[in-house]
Amino acid sequence: ENREDMLNSKSNRLTEALEEANKLFSGVSCAREAALDAQFLVLASNLGKEKANELHSAMTAFDSLAFAEDLLTFMGINRIEAEENDSDPEGISGGYLPSNAWHKLGEETEKYFRRAPSFHYMLGSFKSDPPVPRQRIERQKKATGGEEKRAMPAQLKKMEESHQEATEKEVERILGLLQTHFKNDPDTPISFFDLVIDPNSFARTVENIFHVSFIIRDGFARLKLDDDKLPIIEPSKDNEGREDDHSAGARNQVVISLNHQEWK
Amino acid sequence: DEDFNLSQTPSHSQVQRNLERRSQDQVNQKVSELVQFLLVKDQKKIPIKRADILKKVIREYRDVYSEIINRAGRTLQQVFGLQVVEIDTKHHIYILTSNLPRVEGENLRRDNQTAKLGLLIVILSFIFMKGNSAKDGAVWEFLRRLRVQPGERHEVFGDVKKLVTEEFVRQKYLEITPIPLTDPPEFKYQWGPRAAKETSKRDVLRFVAKIQGKDPTFWMSQYNEAEATP
Repeated sequence: ENREDMLNSKSNRLTEALEEANKLFSGVSCAREAALDAQFLVLASNLGKEKANELHSAMTAFDSLAFAEDLLTFMGINRIEAEENDSDPEGISGGYLPSNAWHKLGEETEKYFRRAPSFHYMLGSFKSDPPVPRQRIERQKKATGGEEKRAMPAQLKKMEESHQEATEKEVERILGLLQTHFKNDPDTPISFFDLVIDPNSFARTVENIFHVSFIIRDGFARLKLDDDKLPIIEPSKDNEGREDDHSAGARNQVVISLNHQEWK
Repeated sequence: DEDFNLSQTPSHSQVQRNLERRSQDQVNQKVSELVQFLLVKDQKKIPIKRADILKKVIREYRDVYSEIINRAGRTLQQVFGLQVVEIDTKHHIYILTSNLPRVEGENLRRDNQTAKLGLLIVILSFIFMKGNSAKDGAVWEFLRRLRVQPGERHEVFGDVKKLVTEEFVRQKYLEITPIPLTDPPEFKYQWGPRAAKETSKRDVLRFVAKIQGKDPTFWMSQYNEAEATP
C-alpha cells in the first residue's frame, strides 16, 4: 500500500519493514504464518528491486522526458510557439506531428536492426481461403436482372433493324447496278464472277455473293451457265421472274464454293 | 504431434549414411522447399517451430533432417544474406535475421512495418535505459508523451495496445510478464529473444545517443553494460 513511500530513495521504510518481519518470524509457529511471511518477502524483494532500478537510473541520468521531446523533434513535430496556455496539464507538449512521423523514425531505426526483409511474391499468390459464399451475389443479380432484361430487347431490336436495313440496301444497290448495266448493254450477259469478285478483298467478295443470292432468291435476276459453263447473271423481266417463283415450278439450289486460294 | 518430435538426434555419421540411401535430387528438392517455407513463414515475423518444419516439409526425410536444415541455412545465407537463428534451444524455435549491411534509401514496400519498427525501438530503448526492465505503467506513460495512447485508436498503429501486448510479444520482440501479488495486476516489460538477436544494447544505445545528440558514454553504466554484452 505504501509503495511510493517505500520506493522513495530517501526513505528507510523498506529496511524497517524487513527488520520487523525478521523479528516477527522468530515468533512463527504454524504454516499459515510462515506463508504470510513468505508473501511479505516476495513483496519486499519486488520493492527492493524497483528501488535498486531507480537508483541505477538516477545515477546515469536517463531523462525519459527529454528523450521523448527529442524523439518528437526527430519525427518532425511542428511546434506551435505562441500557445503556452494550451499545453495539456498532464505535460504533453503542444505541436502537430506530421502523418509520416513514425515512418520517418522507422527508417532511421532500420539501421540499428538486422531484420530479414519480408519475402513476398511480386504478383501475390492465390488465396487459400475457400471462395466466399455466393448467396449475396445471386440475390443482387435477381434484383437487377429484371431491369436488364427490359433493356435488352429494346437494344436487340434496334440492331436487327439496322442489320436488315443494311442488307436490303446493299441488295438493292447491286440490283440497281445490274439493271443499269443491262439497260446500257442488253445483249451482253454479265459474268457472275465479274460482278461479285472484289479483287482487293476476299471478305467483300463473299458479302457480294451473299447479297446477290437474295436477288436470285427473290427472282429479280437469274443465274445461267454460258457456253463455257461459267455462271452468268441477268436481270429477269419484271413479271416473269416473280411469277415463276410463286408457281409450283422448279426451284433450283446452287452451291457455289469459293475459297481463298481460288479467289486469288 | 509426438510423431514429429525427434526422440534422438541422429549422429553426423548416421546422417551421412542415411543420405547415401536417398536420391540427391529429392534431398535437394526438400532443401528448396524448406527455404521457401522459412521465407514465407517469416513474413509475419512469428518464430518458426521445428515441429512445424518436420511435419510440413521434412516429413519422411526425418532421418536426414539436420543435413536438410544445414543446407537450407547455407542457401539462405549465400543467396539472400539471411541467417537462421535459434532463439529457443529447448523448444527449437527459429527466426531469420539479415547479415547484410543496411542500404540507404527508400523502402520499396509501402506498408506499416517500418512505422511499427519505430515504435518498437522506442519501447526497447526505454526498457534498456531504465535498467532492462520497466513497468507497464511507466512504458505507457512514456508513450503518451509521443501521442500514443492505449485507449485511443492511433492514426498509424490502430489498436496500439494490441500491437504492443500481443503482436510484439508473439513475434518475440517483447516479453511481458505479470508482477506477482500486484493488485490491480501490473506487468513487467523486457526485451524478447528476437530483439536480442536482431539488435543489440550497443545499437540501441547508439540510437538513443543519436536522437539526443550525445555520446553513448554519457550514460556510463548503460554504456558499460552494452559493451559487455555480445
